[in-house]
Amino acid sequence: MSLEITLTVNRKTHTAALEPSMSLMDFLRDTLGYKGVKVCCNTGECGACTILFNGKPVNSCVVLGADAAGANIVTVEGLAEGDRLHPVQQAFIDTGAVQCGYCTPGFIISVKALLDRSKHPTPEEIEEAVSGNICRCTGYVKIADAIEIAAQRLEGRS
Amino acid sequence: MAKAEYTVLGTSIPRMGGAERVTGAGIFGIDLVLPNALHGGILRSQHAHARIVSIDTSEAKALPGVHAVVTAADAPDVKYGRSTMDRYILAKGKVRYMGDPVAAVAAESHAIVKQALKKIKVVYEPLPVVVDPEETMKPSAPTLHEDVPLPENLPKDAQVKNVFSYTRVHIGDPDKAMAEADLVVEETYETKMIHPQYLEPRIAAARLEEDGRLTVWVNAQAPFPIRTEVAKTLGLPLNNVRVLVTDIGGGFGGKGSGITSGAAIEPICGLLAIKAKRPVMIVLDKAEETISTTIRSGTKMWIQSGVKKDGTLVARKARVIYDAGGYSGFGAMAGARATRMLGGWYLTPNVHCDGYVVYTNKQVCGPVRGPGGPQAAFAVESHMDSIANKLGMDPVEFRLKNVPKPGNKIVGVPKLRDVSLGETIRTAAEKIGWGKVKLKKNQGIGLATGSWIEGAGPGGGAIVKVNEDGSATVLIGKVDYGTAAPFGIPMIVAEELGIPTADVTVMKVDTDAAPWDAGTVGSRSMLVSGNAVRLASIDARDQLLRMASGRLEARPEDLEIKDKQIRVKGTPAKAISLASVATAAHTEIGEVIGRGFFDSKASQAEESERGSSQPFTTHAALVEVDPDTGNIKVLKYVAVHDVGFVIHPKAVEGQIEGAVAMSLGQALCEEVVFDDQGKTLNPTFVDYLMPTINMLPRIESVIVEGYPGAGPYGTKGAGEIGSVPPLATIANAIYNATGVRIRKLPLSPENVLRALKEAGR
Repeated sequence: MSLEITLTVNRKTHTAALEPSMSLMDFLRDTLGYKGVKVCCNTGECGACTILFNGKPVNSCVVLGADAAGANIVTVEGLAEGDRLHPVQQAFIDTGAVQCGYCTPGFIISVKALLDRSKHPTPEEIEEAVSGNICRCTGYVKIADAIEIAAQRLEGRS
Repeated sequence: MAKAEYTVLGTSIPRMGGAERVTGAGIFGIDLVLPNALHGGILRSQHAHARIVSIDTSEAKALPGVHAVVTAADAPDVKYGRSTMDRYILAKGKVRYMGDPVAAVAAESHAIVKQALKKIKVVYEPLPVVVDPEETMKPSAPTLHEDVPLPENLPKDAQVKNVFSYTRVHIGDPDKAMAEADLVVEETYETKMIHPQYLEPRIAAARLEEDGRLTVWVNAQAPFPIRTEVAKTLGLPLNNVRVLVTDIGGGFGGKGSGITSGAAIEPICGLLAIKAKRPVMIVLDKAEETISTTIRSGTKMWIQSGVKKDGTLVARKARVIYDAGGYSGFGAMAGARATRMLGGWYLTPNVHCDGYVVYTNKQVCGPVRGPGGPQAAFAVESHMDSIANKLGMDPVEFRLKNVPKPGNKIVGVPKLRDVSLGETIRTAAEKIGWGKVKLKKNQGIGLATGSWIEGAGPGGGAIVKVNEDGSATVLIGKVDYGTAAPFGIPMIVAEELGIPTADVTVMKVDTDAAPWDAGTVGSRSMLVSGNAVRLASIDARDQLLRMASGRLEARPEDLEIKDKQIRVKGTPAKAISLASVATAAHTEIGEVIGRGFFDSKASQAEESERGSSQPFTTHAALVEVDPDTGNIKVLKYVAVHDVGFVIHPKAVEGQIEGAVAMSLGQALCEEVVFDDQGKTLNPTFVDYLMPTINMLPRIESVIVEGYPGAGPYGTKGAGEIGSVPPLATIANAIYNATGVRIRKLPLSPENVLRALKEAGR
């Protein structure tokens, strides 16, 4: 049995069929081709598959694709404007926060969600916002730097 | 040359390939889409030790949508291994850990693969299981590998079994020195198995091409060893196997040891593709990865030291039992490293260490970040604190007293050139506020040192092609998973050729095109490929300058390349464009192709002649122990490193910070937990705990310079050494806070609380 849903991904409307048991992560990656949504733990622990679901960051591996009917989804592919990277993306490059780069899309989405709701995040807010994202490469130092710089740039402070 | 004289080196350029990674455009292994590809899956042993009586694949083969089902009977009768050839790609006769590959399926969908795997009927005859590395050595233990003999170099009186590698270190007269010491301190330490848990699942994809060649896609660190082993285990000539490397989502050595790392996922995938006559892709899920792929070994260590009253170390004796798991894997090399490191990196004139590497019915040892190092350093550096305490001496003062001097010998280094150990100790002590910081209740500070003695290993080559517009295309055998390849390597080319780093492309590894390389492992990317790329760039530059010489009417040695112009030194107006000379090459020499090779043997010989400068480090931490829960909060962490000349400061800091975080995970929470039948109890990320940002302090990396190493421009390896000191650093800080010495990892709330209770705290 399969069903058909319509949803918006990165401001584009998609209508596609899916199995009821399919995760939103698999639907976005394999059916719609948004490979920037990364696969890792499949248990909602690592944050690599983080997307914005109606503006809120969620682990798409533990959401059913069918539940995204009518939803507004943003993946990491939807942040840059043409060749111009989003300030969060640029900050990750500038601070050396991208080592292997596999956790990066999930982090960037979590940080975007944070900076969308809080212009001057406190260190505690920053920690909380990305505490569901695991990075095995960086020890989080350069990622914290990236978040700080992105916040400043979005505010026009630097 | 001083840093100021370089144009590019010493700056932190943006990572090559950064834009792809922040936009989701990069193609990691898991993102591959091969037209017409089948899904592959592996049936893994559900017993940790059993004889395979029979395998019946008929029902699986009959399932609609199944294109191939393979077992050991379908593959050539060829074993593989990194030191001991003790393993088939699919188990034959016996299985030796839960997760051992037994059969594999290729089918139209993942769902059909799962169904088919269930329909393969394997009859096992269970055998006694041994999971403890000490138990496995006893004569009463079951035999794991009937056809692997005990090592020839074992001591004659050793009554052991299931040992496949033995290392002995012997310097001076340790028995006599120990007997004459003023104080002898003896302890035992234990570390647990951890999994590197890189985030990207391991994949393999394979396609039999029309011309009979096999193409294999991997997200692994050692493409050339994989090519060799795929060819060998599938009976193909090397020119008929091509390995292509995708973007790689982490590895940490866990993807670094040829086909051993992924328990032969690459040849199994190749075998399926050959049998099915269709492309096949296998993706491991995280739980499958935890139970089947290579890990950092657990160890049991005994360590004893003799010291004089004034704190002079006179003797060290130690023994390690290194748990390699069901097969030899990388155990012989990692175990030997741990054995040597138990001898320490201080001046110790008399040393004896025994290292036994053993089989147990568990996952197999791989070269995980500093293989053998963190374990040995946990014992050595906790022990140094214990000795200082028994002597009534300050731990910093005690360590400084035993720092070796230039010209001295330490285990693994016949002659030291310069020694940064003392400077790193003093710097770390100062940064953490040693003897000054006001500690609150339940707080403590601790410090531990480390080294990563650069070992011998193969060299490697590089090719630098200068294109007709003056840009450069670089071929090396090292992969990009966020270390030297996308950071320091393009900078070297840019520096030597006088072009911007944006004009340099380092190609993804294709074994049909890249020069041979042993793998992106062992902190050797800069040493091997950095040196080779530098020489290749200089070769290319020489070719360009020779061609420009006639045009500029100057000798080649009087020319230089700056800002994409070839010009006469001192007369910058006399210049022609790099592009015009590179284009002219087409009619003069064909193409500007620079070639370089890092001669590992010659480098080693030179280093032992003039003495070698090894990397040293000291870490220090301030922790708070919760006496009610046993929880450890790391409030401050400082990592001081000598890594020689620094080409890309942020990349080097990133390596240090990442290595510290990974080892803090091992110190505080990480452990692959087993039951007594060898079943992994925490295979998923739900139960296998790893550090998140809120668990760690901001790790402060401090780089001391001025001790040039054997890498290009004086670099030293930086990828692994940061993982060496953290275990003991935290244990020492806990001791400082509580007076309780914990000798068994992890320092989890449960274990800390138990230790505090046992000590009556």
